[in-house]
Amino acid sequence: MDPVQRKLLESTRRHFFGQCAVGLGQMALASLLRDGDAHASETVQPVNPLAPRAAHFGAKAKSVIYLFMAGGPSQLDLFEHKPKLAELSGKPIPESFLKGKRFAFMDSFSRDVPKLLGSRRRFQRHGQSGRYVSECLPHLGHVVDDLAFVSSLHTDNFNHAPAKIFLNTGSTRFGRPSMGAWVTYGIGSESRDLPGFVVLQSGPRGPRGGALNWGSGFLPTAHQGVPFQSGGDPILNLASPSGFNAERQQQVLQTVRDLNQTHLKEMGDPEIATRIASYEMAYRMQTSGPELIDFSKESKATLELYGAEPGARSFANNCLLARRLVERGVRFVQLYHTDWDQHGGPETNLNESLDQICHQIDRPCAALIQDLKQRGLLDQTLVIWGGEFGRTPMGEQRETLGRNHHIDAFTMWFAGAGIKPGQTVGTTDELGFSSIENKVHVHDVQATVLHLLGLDHTQLTFKFQGRDFRLTDVGGEVIKKLLA
Amino acid sequence: MRLFYSLACFWVLMTAAAFTAAAQGKSIQSFSNEELAFFATEVRPILDKNCSLCHDAGKHTSGFSIESRESILAGGNRGPAAVPGSPQQSRLIQAVRFEGELKMPPTGRLAESEIAVLERWVALGLPSPSPGSGAKLFAAGNTTHWSFQPIRRLLEPKVKNTAWVRNPIDRFVLARLEKEGFEPSPEAARSRLIRRLSLDLVGLLPSPAEIREFLSDQRVDAYGRLVDRLLSSPHYGERWGRHWLDQARYADSDGYNIDGAREIWMFRDWVINALNRDLPFDQFVIEQVGGDLLPNPTTDQRVATGFHRNTLLNLEGGIDFEQYRAEAVADRVDTTGAVFLGLTLGCARCHDHKFDPISQREFYQLYAFFNNVDELAGDQGEEGRLSAHKPILEFGTADALARREAFRAQLEALRREFQEFQTGTEATLLRDPGKLKPEVLEALRTPPPKRHEFHRIIISSFLKETDIGFRQRSAGLEAFAKQEPKVPSTLVMRELATPRETFVQIGGDFLRKGVAVSPSVPAVLPSLETTDTPTRLDLARWLVDRHNPLTARVTVNRVWQRYFGKGLVATDNDFGTQGSPPTHPELLDWLANEFIEGGWSQKKLHRLIVTSATYRQDSRFRPELAAADPENHWVGRQQRLRLEAEIIRDAALTASGLLNPKIGGPSVFPPQPEGASKLGQIQREWIANSGPERYRRGIYTYFWRASPHPGLMVFDAPDSTTACTRRNRSNTPLQALTLLNDHGYNEFARGLAQRILREPAASEFERVGLAFRLSLSRTPRPEEASRIEMLLSQQMTSFQRSPAEAVRVIGPDVPEGVDIVRWAAWTSAARALLNLDEFVTRE
Repeated sequence: MDPVQRKLLESTRRHFFGQCAVGLGQMALASLLRDGDAHASETVQPVNPLAPRAAHFGAKAKSVIYLFMAGGPSQLDLFEHKPKLAELSGKPIPESFLKGKRFAFMDSFSRDVPKLLGSRRRFQRHGQSGRYVSECLPHLGHVVDDLAFVSSLHTDNFNHAPAKIFLNTGSTRFGRPSMGAWVTYGIGSESRDLPGFVVLQSGPRGPRGGALNWGSGFLPTAHQGVPFQSGGDPILNLASPSGFNAERQQQVLQTVRDLNQTHLKEMGDPEIATRIASYEMAYRMQTSGPELIDFSKESKATLELYGAEPGARSFANNCLLARRLVERGVRFVQLYHTDWDQHGGPETNLNESLDQICHQIDRPCAALIQDLKQRGLLDQTLVIWGGEFGRTPMGEQRETLGRNHHIDAFTMWFAGAGIKPGQTVGTTDELGFSSIENKVHVHDVQATVLHLLGLDHTQLTFKFQGRDFRLTDVGGEVIKKLLA
Repeated sequence: MRLFYSLACFWVLMTAAAFTAAAQGKSIQSFSNEELAFFATEVRPILDKNCSLCHDAGKHTSGFSIESRESILAGGNRGPAAVPGSPQQSRLIQAVRFEGELKMPPTGRLAESEIAVLERWVALGLPSPSPGSGAKLFAAGNTTHWSFQPIRRLLEPKVKNTAWVRNPIDRFVLARLEKEGFEPSPEAARSRLIRRLSLDLVGLLPSPAEIREFLSDQRVDAYGRLVDRLLSSPHYGERWGRHWLDQARYADSDGYNIDGAREIWMFRDWVINALNRDLPFDQFVIEQVGGDLLPNPTTDQRVATGFHRNTLLNLEGGIDFEQYRAEAVADRVDTTGAVFLGLTLGCARCHDHKFDPISQREFYQLYAFFNNVDELAGDQGEEGRLSAHKPILEFGTADALARREAFRAQLEALRREFQEFQTGTEATLLRDPGKLKPEVLEALRTPPPKRHEFHRIIISSFLKETDIGFRQRSAGLEAFAKQEPKVPSTLVMRELATPRETFVQIGGDFLRKGVAVSPSVPAVLPSLETTDTPTRLDLARWLVDRHNPLTARVTVNRVWQRYFGKGLVATDNDFGTQGSPPTHPELLDWLANEFIEGGWSQKKLHRLIVTSATYRQDSRFRPELAAADPENHWVGRQQRLRLEAEIIRDAALTASGLLNPKIGGPSVFPPQPEGASKLGQIQREWIANSGPERYRRGIYTYFWRASPHPGLMVFDAPDSTTACTRRNRSNTPLQALTLLNDHGYNEFARGLAQRILREPAASEFERVGLAFRLSLSRTPRPEEASRIEMLLSQQMTSFQRSPAEAVRVIGPDVPEGVDIVRWAAWTSAARALLNLDEFVTRE
């Protein structure tokens, strides 16, 4: 389609309307329902807001799998080997680290000067790159040469929900579009049968901030993330009601579409066109959904690689499902796993709680990399791993081991399309308190993700309340060192 | 929201040099809204983030401060910092470009885009509110903001097309449209108007008889009569009550991970009844915020205070109750800000508000009003769990209460007995400590009063594992405790005899006490006149005092928002400096005044708005208008609005004739998809009602915060954890799947089909007409009718081929003599109608 026309139709609803009145009918849209339905050819077809579109420049990645470790994993117990911190463990943090700085989060350290806490975890070098990974993640150690770490991340907000929203939307204010929404807004999705942006969840509860993490903000609602249920039927109400075989269900749907189109002509509200598109997508989900979640065709070896069990509600199953989703052309898959908020205390400590959650994610993460690689999908899929912030080098004074939220230095890793593997970008000081070299801000991560998908983060904008908004707000630079 | 501003970047603009008086450059001017918005959204954040640490009002490093436009122009020790209109000559711009000796900020060059924003700002002449006045650009200074000014009494503007005007609202709207060169939209068709009014005022569809009556009513006041009839319907309270419950964050469970059940539906019913009897809004607020403190409060007034008991309650093991009480109290402040004042008070919980004149201290002065509730607190320890929901109000008969007392005495005796047994068992174990794991031993050796929650957990799980007698007794006791006779109750507010002291919490941390504060209201707003220490009741009265510039404006704006999809102030919960300015400031003030003068009657306000020509406009898109005003700020047409989650259900219930119109009572359990309750930490059983309770309105659906009914959430119902003043209206494939395939909606479709077939209609064509009137409140156009007839004949043919499938559609219980194939085919037609965009939309 003519890009100008597309922009008119989709970038803003008002322009959409302008086209609606004069010539939506000229624009044919691939529609499953159209097949074998003579009536359809005479009617107006709505534009599919998720149709694939050209990027700004050549994309390295076709899809993204974002493993969101909700709660803030402790980089100091997983990836950042700090012998000096271990040596000084139990000592108050040297004043030189605090001097001249004000860190609001320190308020939650109670009573005295916070004391350093060395990791109790053993670290070992892995792979040719010799990257340190702690004993918590043995499987991940095996694929370390496929990963690129960023150790020098920093973010703006030290509370869970705002920090998550910040990573996802580039703003701590609620209600801005999320990364997945921006991506499908920018380049659509290859999948005709599944949503372009799928959200999977595992762990004891959903992420703080909830649906705002995958919301579409002021972008058209068709771009918001679609949460799948883990285990059982992925989507509620996916099956037609009893007594309605495919033919009868289709007849009902065709009637709905035709009457909606009649009404669209009368009212001119583009929201009706979106509704028509929603119903078409719903029908396609109905036909492709059961096949998607059916793991029976996966080999025993694959299931074992992930530690996936058909029907289970697990991170492992979600990782396998994520691979199946990107295989089917889904653009952006985000997996949330809770709960990494290890302050210390029952179920939130760096003792057995950390063991437990690492055990849940270690094998599946490694399996996802290996599996994508084996299938030739890693070259076109960007895999991201990380939480909304990291944890402090200081311990918290609770019954069990724990660390507080830390926004000045934390770690994420990236793998796959366009990423130069086997390296670490950025350095932190010897206590892991601050990033001292190649500091990377959350907006830079967002700029880089868009870049790998062929999108210029300064060009992907949407006018709202009188100004052009973008994912990276007024910041963001592509992390050049990270790229292949 | 706790915001943390990175302080990594500080900059010092001026170091040494003689002070020179600033040349003002341009003469005093005022700036356009666009320019002011540019300043507020783009410029100010950059200045705030990068400059304010060294150059704010309190810290004029090198003599320079960015506190006001004037102080920037005047500059610091090096001389003027900006020349309006000339970025090249402005020291500020040279410094951020790193062009000269002075390089700012010292931590590193700004992004090019940020520099460009500052250049543009200077080029435009440094737009900012009230230039020349020395008005503060940041936080504490900005008291000149429009929403803090008194509500003005305004004359209605003059318009040309006076024939269109039905009431003063229309003059304000028309004046703007005429200024922009547009006509308003024509009035909507009568059938659309009755559907619109019914959905807006009572949230139900009009019946075919009601439609017929209205369409044939030739009296001039037919429309007004319809409005009056709907406003006096008891369903009005349900419709508008639900809007209020969103703001009250009402739910039937405690939230957090445990999310236990709570009983507070009487508060919901109080809201419905208060609206139905048109309790004046000021009284409505006073009773909810401070009803318990009124002299000799009635039971009703105490029930009303459930408003601020809808806060979450965390009962996880091993937590500090005080922490979550602090969360609840802070939520009451946030809610007060969002709901009544339209202010983001929560921003001042950890530090002074970054944009509005609200200090952190003032946050805690408001906090002090809500800090004295006799509720679960840290000092009660684990015993607090036994009455976790207190204070509550109980409604049992004397007899029922006595029965319960007897039960409790018996339970207490059993508990003591069990405790003795446990003490004995523990003593036996300690005789042979070598056999015990260290953590068990440590827990056992801790004297019971000193035991922490985790000690108790360790001991009881150890004993349950190893001692069958202990396990049985413990299970028996738990089972017995669950049999306690229940009496209806509701959560309410009650003050402690001795008020708690309130301190500023440093960084928003409940453990870090700052200075002590006493209850008071923000200085930017009119003061609170009392002789003694003010109470929550005084606060309530202050909120609705006629001199309070915010509450009336915020309230009328929100009512407007329900009718037009968007408020006159688009950011309905932020009337602060970061919010959107009003599109029709005069209309907002006129409405606020009218509301107060009308004795705060909500029904009068509704009547005023819905009888305006503005409201009665058609909602059809107009290309020429849409091109000029894409967001419909000028209200040159009505807005199509997708119905709220509950109202979609209610509309389907009305169309099908299945609606149980009962008002009030405990919440109910309509069917929901398998697996939907399994998402929270605690997996719940959801046993669907089978009797008439199955067909109650959506407002009565039991709301578990951790695993709410998916039929509500898919259509953007709020999660009820914090006040929701404006819902999203999304449009997704999952909504399509719900309306298409959900068991509940298919039951409604069957009901609608049955209702259509029951009517003694002469022809199939007439039945199609009835189906349209029942679901869409209008007659079909010929092509629409024939499309439904086509579907009917397709489905008849299909079901005739396999009647067993028709049985699967209808279910096994078919009355005798019913043509099941026809019923099934009509169910398909009903499904199609209930899935239309028009069905789920108020037009």
